[in-house]
Amino acid sequence: MRPILAIASTTVGEAIRRRVLLVILLIGVLFIVVAPGLGILSARSETTVLRGFMLGVTQGVSCIIAVILTVYMIPNEIERRTIYTILSKPVQRWQFLVGKYLGAVFSLLLMMAMMSAVMAFVFFLQQQSKNVGEVADLMKGPMMYFVQMCLLAAVGIFFSTFVAPLVNFFLTIGVFLLGTFFNPLFQTLQENQNTVPFVKLVAKGVNTFLPNFANYNVQNPIINPTSVIQNEGRYYLGITVYGVVYISILLIVAILIFDRREV
Amino acid sequence: MAAAIETKQLTKSYKSRQAGTINVVDHLDLHVEEGEIFGFLGPNGAGKTTTIKMLLGIIYPTSGEGFVLGKEIGDMDVHRLISYLPERPYYYEHMTGLELLKFYGSLFGITDKDKFVQLLEKVNLHRDMTKTISQYSKGMQQRVGLAQSLLNDPKLLFLDEPTGGLDPIAHREIRDLILSFRDEGRTVFISSHELSEVELICDRVAIINRGVIAAQGKLTDLLKGGRIEIVVEGVQEALLSDMKITDANVRTLPNGFMLDMPEENDPNSVIDAIRSQKGRVISVVPRRKRLEDLFVETVSSRGANS
Ligand SMILES: Nc1ncnc2c1ncn2[C@@H]1O[C@H](COP(=O)(O)OP(=O)(O)OP(=O)(O)O)[C@@H](O)[C@H]1O
Ligand SMILES: [Mg+2]
Repeated sequence: MRPILAIASTTVGEAIRRRVLLVILLIGVLFIVVAPGLGILSARSETTVLRGFMLGVTQGVSCIIAVILTVYMIPNEIERRTIYTILSKPVQRWQFLVGKYLGAVFSLLLMMAMMSAVMAFVFFLQQQSKNVGEVADLMKGPMMYFVQMCLLAAVGIFFSTFVAPLVNFFLTIGVFLLGTFFNPLFQTLQENQNTVPFVKLVAKGVNTFLPNFANYNVQNPIINPTSVIQNEGRYYLGITVYGVVYISILLIVAILIFDRREV
Repeated sequence: MAAAIETKQLTKSYKSRQAGTINVVDHLDLHVEEGEIFGFLGPNGAGKTTTIKMLLGIIYPTSGEGFVLGKEIGDMDVHRLISYLPERPYYYEHMTGLELLKFYGSLFGITDKDKFVQLLEKVNLHRDMTKTISQYSKGMQQRVGLAQSLLNDPKLLFLDEPTGGLDPIAHREIRDLILSFRDEGRTVFISSHELSEVELICDRVAIINRGVIAAQGKLTDLLKGGRIEIVVEGVQEALLSDMKITDANVRTLPNGFMLDMPEENDPNSVIDAIRSQKGRVISVVPRRKRLEDLFVETVSSRGANS
């Protein structure tokens, strides 16, 4: 366990010093801070739009950070030969990979926590009612995004064991977009009584195969204005378990590939 | 003595578009004894780094086998007893020297801060241990690399071109450190093409060219065949040729003669004989065979890679 944690914390140390990531994070924070002053907010649905906008910024920025963070993770270690000294120590390849992944997760946690704190603060300030419960409700969004980004990071690490960073960048973003926009579509296809059995099967396959990123977007009142969840706690638990299982599978396959690979 | 490293027909091949499959390391039989400094020499692209990476389990052999400290390569237990300094290494630049040792130490489960400081003292970096690696010079980076390679008190060290790109003073410091490793009973496997240095510190060497071993053995054996040249005046040529030294030549010089004989012969007996005939010895010059000569001989006879 110690090697894994050492590798993870070193990864965090590197990530929080990466200028690209910090600049992106800063831009995100900036957008959140100026959000209440933007003209896009109509008086009537003010909080709804503000919430949607801030959550959207948080999600978008987190997504870009997660992708940039993970697509270079393994290739950089190989290119700079830092991996050689590490693997010549009693460190198994799976430990290295898991350490790297956890490092990405901790880095995301740090950066997302910071953005969310700013968001909570800004939201609280412009609120007329100063209702803390509403702020807490808003924070469910970033919490679910965090699980979503952990899943996205696993996708990025998975691909980085066998494709080059640039290709991986588009692949991972592509999977994210597909999982966000197509999963609901296939879901509908799958559940519709009138769908041809073959299409139904395909829809089911794609649905099972693609990581379902759409699950985690329920908090955004703009994207999901009408969605009502009966049992919130259960729903969140469910999609978190789904995320963890999916991440585990991705990491196991990544390890199998990485173990055979020449570095 | 037991073998620290043993390879049997170890081979690594890569496919290339132009040349088809090439054996970068070609049926290599290496034998490194425990407790020696072993020089692994070869021109650029000979396959030195590839061999080391295979021995460390970083890349996998195409065929053949290798044993490190008696265990088949890839055995994780062995990794507790060995260490590796890659060529042109790079360390996480945001860390200080001390943090770097802490990081590598934790990979072994070592957390003893005194040990880290001691190691930094050993490589003469204790005054710079709070500077970050990005502020280190090349020589300092190489020394911190050596410090990390000593963390686990290794029995066997793989050093890939440990003095590449360093100035003469840094060379000397690293050389002294490597010699101290042998005194501490460690086996050191050095890949290098700094021949004068290897000649100074190595017990045995292997010369590899295009993945094939061209020569392997004790340095003293490989460098046999040096000669001694003695220039004399005031004696007859017959005196020299009558000595009947095997494989010796006598050449006529404007004022005398030069006797050129294998280094195994004792020059003193020759000098005594000349003096007893009232001859004068002008000079005695040993022409030792240098590692460089051997290297150029073995490598150019097969054609270097690039
Ligand atoms: N992944 C790879 N794919 C194809 N060829 C490779 C690969 N890695 C190494 N080679 C080739 O193997 C040969 C040996 O490389 P290696 O790095 O072992 O040489 P070396 O003896 O360490 O040389 P140097 O003294 O320059 O460090 C080179 O010709 C190199 O091009
Ligand atoms: Mg090399």
